[in-house]
Order: sequence, then C-alpha cells, then structure tokens
Amino acid sequence: MSTGSALAHFERAKLDNGLRVLVAPDHSSPLVAVAVVYDVGFRSEPEGRSGFAHLFEHLMFQGSAHVGKIEHMQLVQGAGGVINGQTMADLTQYYEALPSGGLELVLWLEADRMGALALTEENLRNQVSVVEEEIKVNVLNRPYGGFPWIPLPGLAFDTYPNAHNGYGDFAHLEEATIEDAKDFYGRYYAPANAALVVAGDCTPEDVVELASRHFGRIEARPAPVRRSFAEPRPSQERRKVIHDALIPQPAFAAGYRVPDPVSKMEDYVAYFVLANVLSDGDASRLRSRLVHHDRSVTDLACYLGVFGSDTFLMRDPLLFQVVVFHPGVASTDALLAVIDEELERLAAEGPNEDELARASASAASSHWRGLDPVLNRALALAGAEVVHNRAELVHELPGLVTAVGREAVAAAAADLVHQHRAIVELLPGGGS
Amino acid sequence: MTPPAKAPSRVRGTGLHRPPGDDAARRPAIGPIRAPSASGVVEDNLAGGLHAIVARRSDVPMVEIRLGFPLAGELIRKPAAPTVLSESLLAGTLRHDRAGLASAVQRIGGRLSADVAGDWLLVRGSVLAEHLVEMLGIVGEVLVGASYPSAEVRADRDRVAEEVLIQLSQPEVIVDEEVSRRLYHGHPYASGLPSPGALRQVSAARLRRVHDEILTPALGHLVLVGDVTPRKALAAATGALEQWLARAPAGAGVPLDPVPAVRLGPIMLFDRPGAEQSNIRMARLAPSRTDPSWPATALANMIFGGMFSSRLVENLRERNGYTYSPGTSFDHGRAGSSFLIDADVATASTAASLVEIGYELGRIVIHGVSEDELESARRYALGTLSFEMATQHGLASRLVNLAILGLDPGYVGRYSAALKRVKRDEVDEAARRLLAPSQMVTVVLGDAGLVGDSLALVADVQPSPISVPH
Repeated sequence: MSTGSALAHFERAKLDNGLRVLVAPDHSSPLVAVAVVYDVGFRSEPEGRSGFAHLFEHLMFQGSAHVGKIEHMQLVQGAGGVINGQTMADLTQYYEALPSGGLELVLWLEADRMGALALTEENLRNQVSVVEEEIKVNVLNRPYGGFPWIPLPGLAFDTYPNAHNGYGDFAHLEEATIEDAKDFYGRYYAPANAALVVAGDCTPEDVVELASRHFGRIEARPAPVRRSFAEPRPSQERRKVIHDALIPQPAFAAGYRVPDPVSKMEDYVAYFVLANVLSDGDASRLRSRLVHHDRSVTDLACYLGVFGSDTFLMRDPLLFQVVVFHPGVASTDALLAVIDEELERLAAEGPNEDELARASASAASSHWRGLDPVLNRALALAGAEVVHNRAELVHELPGLVTAVGREAVAAAAADLVHQHRAIVELLPGGGS
Repeated sequence: MTPPAKAPSRVRGTGLHRPPGDDAARRPAIGPIRAPSASGVVEDNLAGGLHAIVARRSDVPMVEIRLGFPLAGELIRKPAAPTVLSESLLAGTLRHDRAGLASAVQRIGGRLSADVAGDWLLVRGSVLAEHLVEMLGIVGEVLVGASYPSAEVRADRDRVAEEVLIQLSQPEVIVDEEVSRRLYHGHPYASGLPSPGALRQVSAARLRRVHDEILTPALGHLVLVGDVTPRKALAAATGALEQWLARAPAGAGVPLDPVPAVRLGPIMLFDRPGAEQSNIRMARLAPSRTDPSWPATALANMIFGGMFSSRLVENLRERNGYTYSPGTSFDHGRAGSSFLIDADVATASTAASLVEIGYELGRIVIHGVSEDELESARRYALGTLSFEMATQHGLASRLVNLAILGLDPGYVGRYSAALKRVKRDEVDEAARRLLAPSQMVTVVLGDAGLVGDSLALVADVQPSPISVPH
C-alpha cells in the first residue's frame, strides 16, 4: 500500500437528529481537527440583509448557553488549538485544530453553539462594527480590494442570490436585528443541515460516542428545503468599467458560465483542467504568451468559483474566471482578443498530451500537499459532504482530473468561446 | 416539507432556561499537551560545505524542498538585484528555456520558486516523492546553469517593478516600509522593498555576478522534509547537485552589522487622504531566539496580543469594535529581532485605539499576568508548534528559518521544553522588557486631516511625508 492511501479512509455515522458525522483517523501526530460545516452561505441570505450569513458567522463566536463571549476562543486556544470560521457562497465552516486531549472540549463547544446560541443586542452591535472594519481592511481601504469577487458576480448574474455582495452593504448590516439572527439560526443551523468531521488522532468509536453525547441532545428540526439558484446564461456580452483612484495599474476579469459541478462533475472537471492549461505555471498558454512573450500582462489567473479556493465547494451556478493585471500597454480588448485566440486554438486542437500529463501531476501533488495538514483534511471532507453529499469526492479528484481527455478540454474551451461573458474592467483614476 | 418561516419557539435562542447542573453544563476537561520537537532529523555537511537537513514525514507521498542563502548587508541595503534574481533564476538554463523548466517541474508534480525574504534568499519547492531525484536534478541545473537571458531579465525587472508599484499602493505595505525606516535607521534592514527605479536598472550581467555571490554551497542550507529515507535523500542530493557542490566558494562571506539602538520620538503621522481606516503600528527591538528570556517573552506577547484570546483583541475588537484583526508579531533577522503591534482601525477611533493600546501595554507591565493566562498561553504555544512540526510544509519552513539564524533542529525541542518551565515572574519580567509603552516607535498612516487633532490630544505627533514611491 503506498504512502498516503491510509489518509483516504474515513467512517460515517448519522445521529437521530440528522447530524452527519464523519471520522478520518490518523495517529501520526497527537493532534485532531474538528470541522462543523453548515449548508448555508451568502447565497441564502435574505434580500435586504446582504452580508448577513457572514455577520452571523461572527455571532457564532459570541457565546452560547454555557459559554460566555470570548470564552469559546479562550477555551480552544487555552487547550493549545487554533480556531476560526469562514463564510462562502454555499456553506459556512467552523473549525478547531488542537492536541487530541482537547477533542471532547471542542465537541462540547460546537454542540453548545449548535444547540443553544446566545444572541444579545450588545454583541450584535459590536460584531457589526467589527465586520465593517473587516470590509474596510479587505475591500474599501485596499487597492484592488474585493476584485473581482464582488463586482464580477454582480455583472454576470441577474438574481439576488448570485449577484449580490456577500460581504454586504453597511446599511443592511446596520439594520440587522436579533430577530433576524434567531430566524436565520432556526432555519439554517439545524443539526440535519450540518456535517461534523473529526480527523486525526481519534477513533471512530470514540468520536461517534462523544458526538452522540454532546450533539445527540440537540433537538431535531427539519433541514431547510434547498432552493435552486439556477438562472439562464446571459444572452449578450456584458461590460462594466469601474474607476479606482487608488490603483496603480488596470485590471480586468472575465466571467464565463460552466456546467453544474454537482450533477455534472465529469464535465466540470474539464474546465478545471482548462484553467490549469491556460494559467498554471510559466509554461501555461496564457502566462507564457501574455506575461513572458508579449509582456503585456503583469499577472493573470484562471480559476473556478468565487475565490478559487472554493472550486469544489460551490453548487451551480458559478463562474470560470480569467483575472488579468496589466500595465495598460495593451488595451483590454487587445488582451481579450489574445485570450479568445488561445481559447479558439484549444477548442480546435485540444491540449497536447504533455499538457494533460502536467495537469494530472499537478492535481495529484496539490491533492497530497493540501491534505497534509489534518485541519485541511477535515474541512475538505466536510465541504464535499455538504455540497456534493459525497465526502469521497475529496479522494477521487486526482483520478477525475487524470481521466479528462483532449476532447473534453477542447469542448470546454469551445463553450467559453461561444458564450456571452461578463467583463469588469478596473481602471486607475477618478473616472468621469 | 417547508422550512419554518420563523424559528419555532422551542429553539433555544438564548439557552437561558436550562436547569443548572445538567450534562450540557459540564465542561469537559482537557488532556496534557506533549512538548513538540523536530524529531527524526538528520543533519550533514555535504561537499562544498552545503549544510543539509533531512526529516522523514510520510503522511503524504510528497517532499518539501527549501534552499536558503543569507544575503550580505549591501544586498539587503540594495535589494533590487536579488529581487530580480529571484524572478529570473528560473528564466532559463543552457538546456531549458523558461517554459521548458516550468514544464519539467510540473510534469513530476513539482513546484519551484524563489523569493527574497528580508535578509536571505529562499528557493522553495515541493515534488511527488517518487520524483525527488529528478527535481533535485532540475534544482542543480538552475544553480549551475541559470543563464539570465538578457531579454528575459529586461522583461522580468519591468514586471517586478510593476508588482512593487502594486504592493506600494497597499496601506499595510506603505506603513510597514515607514516602520522599517524608523526602527532600523541607517541599517540595511531600513531599506524595505526595492524601488521601481532601481529594479529597472538591473542588468543580466549583474545578476550573473550576484548569482555566484549568493548561491554558493558553503553559504547554503538545504532542507528536505517528506516521504524520504534521510540517508538516501542526502545521497540523492549529493549526486544531483554534484556539479554545483564542486564550485569554489566565493570569498566575500555575508557581513551584516547588528541593528542599531532605536531612536525614540513622537508619533509619526503619515497622511493618506481619503483613507477608510488608520493603520497603527508600534515597534521596537526584541530579544532574539537565543536570548534566555525568549520563551518568557514569547508567552508575554501571546497574553498581550499574540493570539485571538489576548488582551489586545479582547479590548480593541471584542469590547470596542474599533478593528477587525489587531495583532502582534516578531521578526527574527540575522542582525537582530523586532516586535510589532498592528491595528487597522476605524478613522474615527484612531486616537481612542492608541489610548487603549497604551492602556493594555501599561497594564501588563505594571500589573503582570495571571497564572490562568500563563497556562493558556503556554498550551497555545506548545499546541501551535506541534501543528507546525506535524506537516511537511511547516517543518521544512521552520528548519530552514532556524538554519539561517544559525540554529540547529534541536532548537525546537529545547524551546518547547523551556516553554514548559517558564514561571510567572519570568513572564512579568519579560513583559516589562518588551511591552513598555514608552519604548515603542509609533507610526500611524491615515487621513491626517481627520485624525491629526485628536491624536495630538493624546500624544506628541509629528506629521511626516510618505517616503516610499506611491
């Protein structure tokens, strides 16, 4: 048995209240990671409450029935652990990683806030302020902040769930109430709407026993019926120009639609390989031509999903993005024409065997490198379980990439060439 | 089934109605935490004087590669050439052009890049373990035969200049540059990022000279961590790097003066009109990793601001909502160590934030820390170090960092054993040495028109022009 294959092993259980429990034992270090992922993200937040899913994630750290404000963090860190949460389009993840002697403490903490969150007006107001400062740090006070993940979906999509800014408008954040939070919690934070994954120095028997003890007493309530966010592809190309006085050079992002990752994973993976062939490494088609040959581009990237880190953690619809930073020597249209030319060439000829072999080797090494930290393993399994209903997908990805053939990549390139994309341009200066 | 429009009343929104003493109220105890060490490490000096460290970590079939070289003071002072070198190192050899090198690396599941990290240059990579020998062969090819094609170098230096301009548009980069200038006045560490103008003048001939000066076996530290047998990996490295290891050592060495004493003064206020926030930084020199007080200093910092459940975060963020992510950090250089407090705060709360930071500094140096705080910080330090030691990436990065500072892999175990022994009075003493508010260099970047008057009410403020190109 080759090294690493032991990491693919995990076991599953389900509590009576519907909570899915996955355990991936690995005793190589006395460390354990816990991920609790809820099947709700910023696409599900109500209209008029943009940013609420993320704000609510902050409130999950503000105390619960038996845990005071700050105490959750203090207890985990005081047990030698790290802790955080993250809100994405379709899921919200909470996690802890710590020496394995703290496992039961963490399960108790996660169960306490899943079962009985403490919501107070004072903590809500405090976290609205904190989130506003977070948005200033990452978006408003930062040149290129939020680009392209905030403006591009806003142009590429028409419906609120897909198009709105997941960080939220300040006005919406400031209008948020405790009632909103109770409603959101009641609707989306049911045990049946979550997956608990424990990876590392533990046994499946112990974890299931501890999970039953602490999460088992949380009352069952129905998981929300998940709505489709599907919307038709645009019927014509969309363009938007944003002027930003703070940026030293222009940038643009093009967004294209792709197949549903959940129901058409094999098709979707061809777009993943296409992104790799176009922009991964100095030998990739767009990087070698635009950055190193034409020298008209400073940096570029192609990826799937909102952030790229969520390529396999999002449902339909989502974007294939081409993001380009350039010194303005060539116009946006000239650069887009090169991108089109390379896509057309790939559509006509497909990638060569070496490009496919390189994509396959990259996928294998990214897979192993990504899963080395026990925390990443827990998060990947939990995310795949929630979004794809198949944690197994995590370990199938390298094989899926290797199975992608030339025709599939050519077809993906042809699909991009022939569809109506959305293009957001970011230009230096105040605009007119 | 449709979801409830409102949370049903039995959903315990506050949880306040639980009977006391039930099972849910009983907080589970935690087990002991092992003191981590960098175990299973083999160290050797290869031909040519190359220092090599190999560690087996076989959870995944990968190997992490690090090759670090110290920079001489003059190259730290004028970082344009090493910075372009780190980009052009992989621009081609006699056998491969840039795309050919990139393809060769990618075909074996590899990654390879180089960076200037302050006072050293780091070549870093990873590869599927079965292809380690081929990967080392590519590294060797680059070390011996990087050809720095003139046209590639011209393109690279222009692109790096553009990238630096983008970096220098970021407020946290601007403020860090100003802190370095102030903290290290006159020392090479004061230089910060290379200027776009200096970058655009770097020639291919200069890079070839600097390559031989920096990338010398006798100065280098090679670290391999992963699914390897250490002795076999050392033999593979000796073979793959043979031609490079046979090179005569450069004579110059890497002289670097110690950092000078800090010059204290008023708060430097740098104007960024229209800024949405103020970037507050307080800095000073700090004990090095070899200072006997370092373990206690590290713990004093964690209690003050080095972890989320610290006094600084509780005050500025959780109590006052002035900022998202305040924190503290150390930077250990070969010439000295420094300590930094950072908080990006709401413009309207700039002066208030400075008052609160000053209050927390004063409180910890006057009143010290509690036993509970110390135990939490101790476990946090040991736990996070355990995670670093448990991954190929974490261990490889730590080992090369230590090697550049002249510290052996055994340092990790000695440090964690020392963390276990630190007493409260030692932490109090370390806090007095590190955190005295009177000893900080303070820099604020923000909208001076909006924050200047209120800042002047609480401190001596000197408006200052931004010195980095922007």
